[in-house]
Order: sequence, then structure tokens, then C-alpha cells
Amino acid sequence: MMRGPQIALSVGLWALLAASIVLAVTFGPADISPHEVWQTIAQHLGLPVQSGVTRLRDAIVWELRLPRVLVAAGIGAGLALCGAIMQALTRNPLADPYLLGLSSGASFGAVTFLLAGAALLMPVGAFLGAGAAMALTLLMTRLLGGATPSRAILAGIAVSALAAAATSFLIFWSATGDSYREILSWLMGSLSGTTWGDAGIVTGAVLLLGLPMLLAGRALDAFAFGDNAAATLGIDVVRLRWLLLGATALLTGALVAVGGAIGFVGLIIPHVVRLGTGSRHRLLLPVAMLLGASFMIWTDTAARSLFAPRELPVGIITALLGAPIFLLVLLRYRRAT
Amino acid sequence: MRLSFHLVALAGLALSVAPAWAQTSYPLTLDNCGVAVTLAAAPERVVTIKSTATEMLLALGLGEKIVGVGFQDGPVPEPWAAAGAGLPVLAEKLPSQEVVLEAEPDFVYGGWESNFAADGVGERPSLTELGIASYVSPAACRSVKPVKLSFDGLFADIAEMGTIFDVTPAAEALIAEQKAELAAIVPDSRGLTAVWYSSGTKAPYVGAASNAPAMMMTALGLDNIMGTVDDGWISASWEAIVDANPDVIVLVDAAWNSAAQKKTLLAENPITSQLDAVLHERYLVVPFPASEAGIRNVGATADMAAQLAALTFDQ
Repeated sequence: MMRGPQIALSVGLWALLAASIVLAVTFGPADISPHEVWQTIAQHLGLPVQSGVTRLRDAIVWELRLPRVLVAAGIGAGLALCGAIMQALTRNPLADPYLLGLSSGASFGAVTFLLAGAALLMPVGAFLGAGAAMALTLLMTRLLGGATPSRAILAGIAVSALAAAATSFLIFWSATGDSYREILSWLMGSLSGTTWGDAGIVTGAVLLLGLPMLLAGRALDAFAFGDNAAATLGIDVVRLRWLLLGATALLTGALVAVGGAIGFVGLIIPHVVRLGTGSRHRLLLPVAMLLGASFMIWTDTAARSLFAPRELPVGIITALLGAPIFLLVLLRYRRAT
Repeated sequence: MRLSFHLVALAGLALSVAPAWAQTSYPLTLDNCGVAVTLAAAPERVVTIKSTATEMLLALGLGEKIVGVGFQDGPVPEPWAAAGAGLPVLAEKLPSQEVVLEAEPDFVYGGWESNFAADGVGERPSLTELGIASYVSPAACRSVKPVKLSFDGLFADIAEMGTIFDVTPAAEALIAEQKAELAAIVPDSRGLTAVWYSSGTKAPYVGAASNAPAMMMTALGLDNIMGTVDDGWISASWEAIVDANPDVIVLVDAAWNSAAQKKTLLAENPITSQLDAVLHERYLVVPFPASEAGIRNVGATADMAAQLAALTFDQ
């Protein structure tokens, strides 16, 4: 099935991801040697190693850095996958998980729970918000006369604007003292303070929702030639489209619940991958996931290390890197056509 | 005999002249956070934004001049509670410019520079055009970097407020009282480190090197683990805090983020629960309005000194 270059590519990307995880955990404000970091992790994994670091340094490696690196990898992979699928489903190169209002809805749900004093239930709020935004988008699409890509996008824009306005109103109305700071850094997207629980949510969502979505690569290739062409190939177009949109909504909700609204990853990673692999989805989807994971690990490592002991919301870095990359991608597309 | 007579006469002269020296001559021009403020006379109708501004005027006995307050951080404490009880509240949050103008102030005194925004009480130049003087708590200045806050700087701010309102004797009395209370505080000599935890959960907002938290921690004899960053407050990383493992954690008690909530969070989080200060519950609690530069800093420092003295570190 796979040709030589593809095998080399996937081996290379898996190696990049593994190296990213192994190296990223050695970076951070606390001055811990790479040797101590790996010994600590090995000890926790049950290997016969004694790391000998203090209780707190052990906690820094095992409770702070490793779950955060894994969360970054999962969010990067998930966002890139969602972006690639949205772009294929809507045949809109500008589509990404935020297009259908899911991210704004998730933000609204999370901020509502945060301001109501239920900070621990924030992920539940994000799930509910993303689900409500998805339902509203679907309903509006139906009211507009049925599911076409452009109608779904228009409905998504309306829902997104509504949820963003509601979020702004909540912040304006409820923020007391300096509590707005927490909300703003969360809306910008930040992986500060992620725990093993978060890592469980993100990894679970990527495995349970993301991997089945990979199987749709072949059908998505048929979509590229139009709904009729796909239908003649024996694909239940309507059913598959809504299945994929629903899965994307759930996955986005899980990712936003943990990391907030991290922008540009879902938009640029699929485009960058297309430049290298072409637009066949069977290859594009897994490659985008792997590259997105490594990209997110390094941007988050920069966010937590560059300005220590300060922390920067990682969404600022993904936007700073993402916007110029996106412009370059657009220019190359223009030259290619 | 003649000499002592002269001395008595001189002393009498000095006493009769002293109030005249203290009197403010108007028009008064002063530089406040990069803005030249000119006052034709002592302000008579004042709007205060934030608790620090309100409490400053109450402490100087100027409560009668306050025609409106906005964005108060909590109840006015003793001994000014009675004076602060009947103040007209313009807004629970930041009042808009129109609401402020309706109170017809001649002086708007803001605790944060950001209060003076177009979508807040109005930008300072536009207030000036309307003949309304504006004043920002000097320690809260952002457009001009303020010098590192010290208690002497704070007393100079009180003196400046005395000059503005021509109540220098009251300001001097307040400064003398605060200096005496400050002098009575014995800095802790155990060489303890501390972090000033203001708010935030995922990225904690903590006191850095240059504002009220640093000033109070220094007076308490505490070594601020974030004292290397030249800023008032910063969004810090938990990793840096855990790595430093401070002996004591100062918890800011705000209505929206109470000390009790912070204690729960610290104890439940798998990483912060490992900190020595959390394991042994070595906390100092400071009310939010007293955690920003103002007349409550000295009292809050004395209170925290007592809390600190009660903590033991023999485990």
C-alpha cells in the first residue's frame, strides 16, 4: 500500500514526535538536568532506575512537565486533524475547527462555569457550549434550506458571533478585580497548569474520536470531486458528512475545554502538509496529526520557558508563527495556480 | 535671660508661621503619571475609583468632599467605616464617563491608570478639557514607569494628597501615625522565602519586585522568590514557584477569589499540594484592598507580621 517515500515520511514524523517529547520535558524554568528528568520519568514508568531527585523536582517533571507535553501533543494532533477534515468537508481552504462556532461556543460554556464559581467543572461547560453551538449551527443550516457547505459556514459564523458576544458580555458584566486576567489568558489559549486528568481527556478524545476519523480519508478524497461523484462511488454523502461534523464538534469541545481557544494550528498545519504530500487525505490526515503534535509541543515549550518565571499564553505564539506561515502558504498556492 | 527670651520669641514665631508654611498656594501644578495637573483651588467635589483612592481621602478626613465612588473592592474598614458608610455609589463596577460627569466632580481620583479610559471614567485629556482634574495613584502608574515602591514613597504620596487638598497637617499626622506603626514592626529574622499569590489558578498572578507586595514582604523580612522580576505583578509559572518551594505563601483575600478558595486549590492540586508551605499550612492572609499601594499597607504589614510570628518552622 505505502510507497517508499511515504514510509520514510511517516517514520521520520514519528521519530520527530518522539524526539520532541523526550527533549521538551527537559526544558522549563526549573534547572533540572536532562539526565535527572529522564531518570525520574523512567522511575515512574516502573523501570529499575533510582533518580534521587527531591520530592518537588520529581513533581515538577512528573506532575507538571510530562502531562503538559502530552496535552500539547494531543491538542496539536487533534486541532490539525479537525482543521484538515473541516477544510475537506466544506471545500473551503479557510475552514478550521473555529469555523462552525464550536470554539466560541466552548469558550462561552467554559467562561460561564468559571464565573459561576465552578472552575473545576469548566471542561463540562466547554463540552456543553460546543455541543450547543453545534446543535444551533445544524438547526440554522436546516432552516436555511439544508446542508450545503456554504450554508453551514454562514450559520457557523452567526453562531460564532453570538457566542463571542455573549462571552464578552459575561466578562464585561461579571469580571471583578483582576479575575478578567484568568479569563483572557484562557480565551487566548494556554496550557498552563494542565494535569494528568487533562492529559487523559485529550488523549482519550484523540484516540476515541480522532483515530476513527482517520478512516474517513478515502471518502474525503471522493468528496473533493463533488457530492455526486462521491455518491456514485457508493458513499452515503449526507450521513458521512454529519458524522464527521459531529465528531469534529466533540473533539474540538474536548480540546478547547483543556487548552482554551488556541488558534491557527488547525488552519496552517493541513496547508503546510499539503505542500509536501499533496491533498490525498489518506496521507494528509495522519501526517497533519503527527506534525501538529510536534508543532504544538515546541510552541508550548517556548511559551513556558522563554520568559521564565513568567508564562505566556501559547495562543499568542501559535498566532505569531501561524499568521506569517499562512501568508506564505497562500502565496505559494497563488504561484502554483 | 535675654538669650532665653529670644529663644522663646523665636519658638513662638516659628509656631505662628508653621501653618502658613504648610498652606498650599494655588494655582497648584503637579506632575502625575506624566500628566501635568493644574488646580485653581483645593478640589471640592471628588469622585474616587477603587478602594485605595476612597480610603486615602477618608483617612485624611476628606469624606465630605466625596460626591461619588465607583469600583470599590470591599467594605471600608475601621476606623473609617462610619465615614465611608453613606458615600454615594456611582457604580459597583467602573462607572462610565457620563455617570461620572453627572456627579459634577472637579477632581477624579483613580486607583488604577486604566480607570481613565474612553470606556471608563473618560480619558484624562478629555476630563481636563471639561475643567475636571484627574489623579492616578502614583504607584499604579503605567505610562511612566514608577520608581520601586517604598514606604517613604507611599508617605510622599500621602503628603502630596495633603498638598492637593490643602490639609497638610492631617497628612503629616497620618504619616507620623503610620511611621510609628511601621517602626514597631520587627522584620522576621528566620531568613524565610515567600510568594505573594494574588489570583489565578492555571497561571498564578504573583507579586514581583517593584510594587506593594514587594514593599510589604521586605518589611516583613521575607525574601520574595519573584523578586528578580522588575515588575509589580506577573503571571508566573507553577514550575518556577514549586522549584523555589517558598517557606510561606501570602494569600490575597478578594471577594472574587478568596483566601479560602486559594487554600483549597493549593491543597487539591497534585503539584502545589507538595509545597512545604501548603503541607504545613504556612499562610499569611491580606485583604485585597490592602494589597495595593495605599494607606492600609502599614496596617496590613503589621497584621501579617503577627500572623508570621505565630508560624512555626520546626518540622
